[in-house]
Amino acid sequence: MTNLSRRDFLKLVRDGFLVLSGALALGGVLRFLDFQPNPAQKTQFDLGSATNYPIGSRTALSEIPALLIHAESGFSALSLVCTHLGCNLGEDESGFACPCHSSHFDAEGKVTHGPAAKPLSPLRIEISEDNRVILHTS
Amino acid sequence: MYFFILHLSSFILFPMPPSFFHHLHPPTIPTAQARWRHTLAAGGTAIFLMLILGVTGILEMFYYAPNPAEAALSVQTITYHVPFGGFIRNLHYWAAQALIVVSAVHFLRVIFTAAYGHPRRFNYLLGLALFVVSIMLDFTGYILRWDVDICWPLTTGTNLLKTIPVIGDFLYRIAVGGNEVCETALLRFYTWHIFGLTILVVILGVWHAFRVRRDGGIAVPPPQLRADVTRIPRDELVRREVLTMFIVSIGLILLSIFVPAPIAAAMSVSIRESVTESVDVRAPWFFLWVQQMLKWGDPFIFGVLIPSIILALLALIPYIFPQPNEAEIGSWFPKSNRLAQIIVAIIGTIIIILTFINR
Repeated sequence: MTNLSRRDFLKLVRDGFLVLSGALALGGVLRFLDFQPNPAQKTQFDLGSATNYPIGSRTALSEIPALLIHAESGFSALSLVCTHLGCNLGEDESGFACPCHSSHFDAEGKVTHGPAAKPLSPLRIEISEDNRVILHTS
Repeated sequence: MYFFILHLSSFILFPMPPSFFHHLHPPTIPTAQARWRHTLAAGGTAIFLMLILGVTGILEMFYYAPNPAEAALSVQTITYHVPFGGFIRNLHYWAAQALIVVSAVHFLRVIFTAAYGHPRRFNYLLGLALFVVSIMLDFTGYILRWDVDICWPLTTGTNLLKTIPVIGDFLYRIAVGGNEVCETALLRFYTWHIFGLTILVVILGVWHAFRVRRDGGIAVPPPQLRADVTRIPRDELVRREVLTMFIVSIGLILLSIFVPAPIAAAMSVSIRESVTESVDVRAPWFFLWVQQMLKWGDPFIFGVLIPSIILALLALIPYIFPQPNEAEIGSWFPKSNRLAQIIVAIIGTIIIILTFINR
């Protein structure tokens, strides 16, 4: 380093600035592309009066998609999005099947056949003061 | 396209003063390596298909509306209402599928005739990059249909990005333009398809073709090792090119008349709301092998890691394996560097088997 000439030093500084400005521009472009213009996804769904879902009922709600369960112990809900890569699940005799990569879940949401590794996520249910069922997806 | 062929065909019919088209070709090339059974005409056909894709793609842009509410309907307009619209869309579709096949054939030809060695190693990488970008163009083009059949391939394809450690979520947001595959994704795929990736293909393609000349033309042994030292003039080369274009054009026209490109019902604005039982859950054909592997388990390993390792392995072939024997360059299945040929043959066979066992 001691015999670094002035010319070499200036070349090094020039190259350093070129790399730095390139990195700054790249960072700017990446931030530019990372903007999220659309409003946040809806996470709260009003499912109507709780009396529409009698005890013992299991209701598949394909537009969320979720399964609303009304048991003796109260309301609960399962997400019907496959935990493997996010396809919508279809209902069959023994539970839920994923059309994309053949994962299968039982009626309680446990994995019965891979490739999915995680069970179906439970979703939070809230009963409002006027007895309406509100489902939260996050 | 017709006039282009007509113009080139005049090379055969009338002697012409040297023009730009002459300039694109070397004055002479070795007879042995100029044969169809040597080149399989794959590289030239790929260029021709790209020209067709450019022209038909521009024509489609006059009607395509890149927003979620209108996209699928505008594709239906092109297909069913615009005069020759269905034909032009079919040409675009079939040229795109043929491009993947022809590029793969070109790649196999380069491997099995030992054409990848020094000094062509860098051009081999350019070619591989072109292949990857072509597949990305095929996938983004397929998404632009925005009908119900593209739902799950789009969902799983973009969700695969999320499985990449550390940068996954960021890559997903960059690709999709938000946190859910929704309205913004279509505009992003459109921009990548018609501009971002296309300009990359043009740059890489021109560079690739330029490097062929720069690296000494088609791969042949040095003159003293050649069995056949005769050469053909460029008029003969152009004659063969025009004949190839003619045959490829006839094939594409017949396919486009008799086998329509896939189209399904329009997707409503939200992906999840418009999916029904009848939806096609199969990936586009060139990704069926990945979809089959994804059934085996962890999406990152089977959907990202293994395809990346395969690509890296192919990219390293000219660099980590011994160089092919000089006398064998440009002849089929040379004895030197059998290992590279065996590895490519095994990978190719596995990909084909996976594609066919996927349902």
